[in-house]
Amino acid sequence: MKQFIIAFIAAFIFIVLWGLFFNGMVLKGASAQAQHLFRPREEIMSLFYWIIIGQAGLALAFVMIYASGFASGGIASGVLLGIMVEIFAVGARCTIYATQPFPAKLLVVVSIGGFIEMIVTGAIVGAIYKSKSAT
Amino acid sequence: MDWKKFSIAFFAAFGFIFVFGFIWYGTLMQGAHREVSVLFRPKPDFPWLILGHIVMAFFLTLLCAKFVPAGGPGTCALLGLLVALVYVGAHLITFAVEPITAKILWGWNIGALIQFAVAGAIIGVIYKPTLPATVRA
Repeated sequence: MKQFIIAFIAAFIFIVLWGLFFNGMVLKGASAQAQHLFRPREEIMSLFYWIIIGQAGLALAFVMIYASGFASGGIASGVLLGIMVEIFAVGARCTIYATQPFPAKLLVVVSIGGFIEMIVTGAIVGAIYKSKSAT
Repeated sequence: MDWKKFSIAFFAAFGFIFVFGFIWYGTLMQGAHREVSVLFRPKPDFPWLILGHIVMAFFLTLLCAKFVPAGGPGTCALLGLLVALVYVGAHLITFAVEPITAKILWGWNIGALIQFAVAGAIIGVIYKPTLPATVRA
């Protein structure tokens, strides 16, 4: 349980920091083309707690999936899970592209960022959380 | 891996995910989506919609087949539920940055939880790896 909590906190901190960096620096220009599909900046800031809750939920779900079947493989398993979760998310992004008028370029950039995010998250979780059978 | 059972489980999961998506998001939530019609295309782009569902069904089946060795509907439904929780997290972030309504947010969240838990259960029912003869005996 202690390892689970530490892995969750580490994954959560990385996801928050990555989100701030990626959305603040990389996506700023790419999302400008679709500004009408986003809330105004002040409104986003007033709803920022939802972003934090969402990122915590994402980190928690990731660690729970890892602990439920991947934990014996360490970092390699964590990275594999990260890749699988992100490919799954790319599938979801295809459905978003099918139904919402986002520019394809924006979704491609988001997906590249998503791969980096999930691979590093998987490596962090795999490095921290070790199953009893593996230790 | 038993590829025959895997393929059947994948097709069944894809069928369910697609039909459920059409009923839940495309029909029951149509009114909620119309409230913010500027955020949606007038008609879905079906090739991308089908591709997205194929990818999601394939990787859910792969997750269940590879990492729930004993199979079974309960365990695979739980894995589907955890995958849906990843979605719920993403939807909460979407709510903060896109002007979707709370009705859409909770509709998407409940839909994802039902969709992937049931799809997981379907995969778990179909994909049960054959046990070695020594174990069967």
